[in-house]
Amino acid sequence: MGIEELLGQYGDMYGTALLTTWWMTIVSYAGAMALALVLTIMRVCPIRPLRMFADFFVQVFRNIPGISLLIITVYALPKLDVIFPYDICVIVTTILIASAFGSENFMSGINTISVGQIEAARSLGLTFGQMLRQVVIPQALRSVVLPMTNLLIAVMLTTAIASQVPMKPPELTGLVSYINTRSTGGITTFLISALCYVGTAVFIGYVGNKLDKKVRILR
Amino acid sequence: MSEPIIEEHVPMVEYRHVHKHYGSLHVLNDINLTVEPGEVIVVIGPSGSGKSTLIRTANRLETIDAGEILIEGLPLPEEGKQLARVRAEVGMVFQSFNLFAHKTVLDNVIMGPVSVLGVNKKEAEEEAAALLRRVGVEEQAHKVPAQLSGGQQQRVAIARSLAMHPKVMLFDEPTSALDPEMINEVLDVMVELARGGMTMVVVTHEMNFAKRVSNRVLFMADGQIIEEGTPEQFFDNPQTDRARDFLESIKTH
Repeated sequence: MGIEELLGQYGDMYGTALLTTWWMTIVSYAGAMALALVLTIMRVCPIRPLRMFADFFVQVFRNIPGISLLIITVYALPKLDVIFPYDICVIVTTILIASAFGSENFMSGINTISVGQIEAARSLGLTFGQMLRQVVIPQALRSVVLPMTNLLIAVMLTTAIASQVPMKPPELTGLVSYINTRSTGGITTFLISALCYVGTAVFIGYVGNKLDKKVRILR
Repeated sequence: MSEPIIEEHVPMVEYRHVHKHYGSLHVLNDINLTVEPGEVIVVIGPSGSGKSTLIRTANRLETIDAGEILIEGLPLPEEGKQLARVRAEVGMVFQSFNLFAHKTVLDNVIMGPVSVLGVNKKEAEEEAAALLRRVGVEEQAHKVPAQLSGGQQQRVAIARSLAMHPKVMLFDEPTSALDPEMINEVLDVMVELARGGMTMVVVTHEMNFAKRVSNRVLFMADGQIIEEGTPEQFFDNPQTDRARDFLESIKTH
């Protein structure tokens, strides 16, 4: 099958698949960022058990292959009577993994803030929470735009694990399997999905760069 | 005849037998010190003598191992809200300025009053503008710290500290990171503060500053205050060999 024939027959499905990949990416990334922020605050807070828990969490989910974790959420959780739809399983899996990486990014962002600024905030009488909100988090956020842009692209690529579960409608990678079990699209089927991924990634990278230039802190 | 009214006398800052160790280094060794309201004290001494540690313990940026530190007669709280409250009353100016890099100069100055004292933003901005004018950097109000010279940044840091209306201000080598031509612009601000009656403890090697405005000079070495006196006594007629050697060493360059 040539590209025209493929698009003629499956064009709508590619469109739906691209949208599916997009929304899963956006939801996963939003969830991962929120969780990463919470984890990071736990990792720098004065309460030791919280620090230890968050460090442990990051170590675990940074080091599990996405596909293994997906198998756990899809096939193991139902044994505990926790049954999520497939798309939610994929999103939960992606959030858990991406939040671990996101927290590592935030930690490196926090490390760019000099100890002196923390001491200055303490000297002014700011509480720990005020110091986080006004000094630490804004600077950490602004200095991690580029790594977080990369993470967004990684999240998009991670949603391809959805191809391993029978999601309806399939996302970009799942669609490739879907088509290739029904027709003989071969490598061209991959190519179209790949172009969708690359196009999105290039756009994300462009926006990320712009944003970084705008918010980067002069030092 | 009526009894004279005896005003209870409370020192601004008081150290009682304060000790601190960094591992095997005895960085503060039995420090006893009383800072009276309105007094300007200069702490001088070779590097590693404990002078920075001394003033950093006064708002508990450094903890102590033994002894007691009192601010206006009350023991320094160990943590939490009470400690934050004391810190709000004790101003601190650092060697490396430590301005908040992501905030404009104006926002640096209003952060404390707005967040800690609960002053409304507009009032805080008006006062901040006045303070920036007083230290001579009003034109930089809307720039970020990295766009300012070191001397300007340090003057902003002083304004930021003043915005909290501190009862006492601590200066940790405020001019040591500055290029020579910027030292005086910072010292001038400090001189004006001292003459305005601010209680100050200043770690510095600027002898001229010490001579112009300080009431007392403390000489520290090996974690101890080994000599103290008026600036005239200390600089013109040091009593200990350590102090004499030290003064020689800083005069030669």
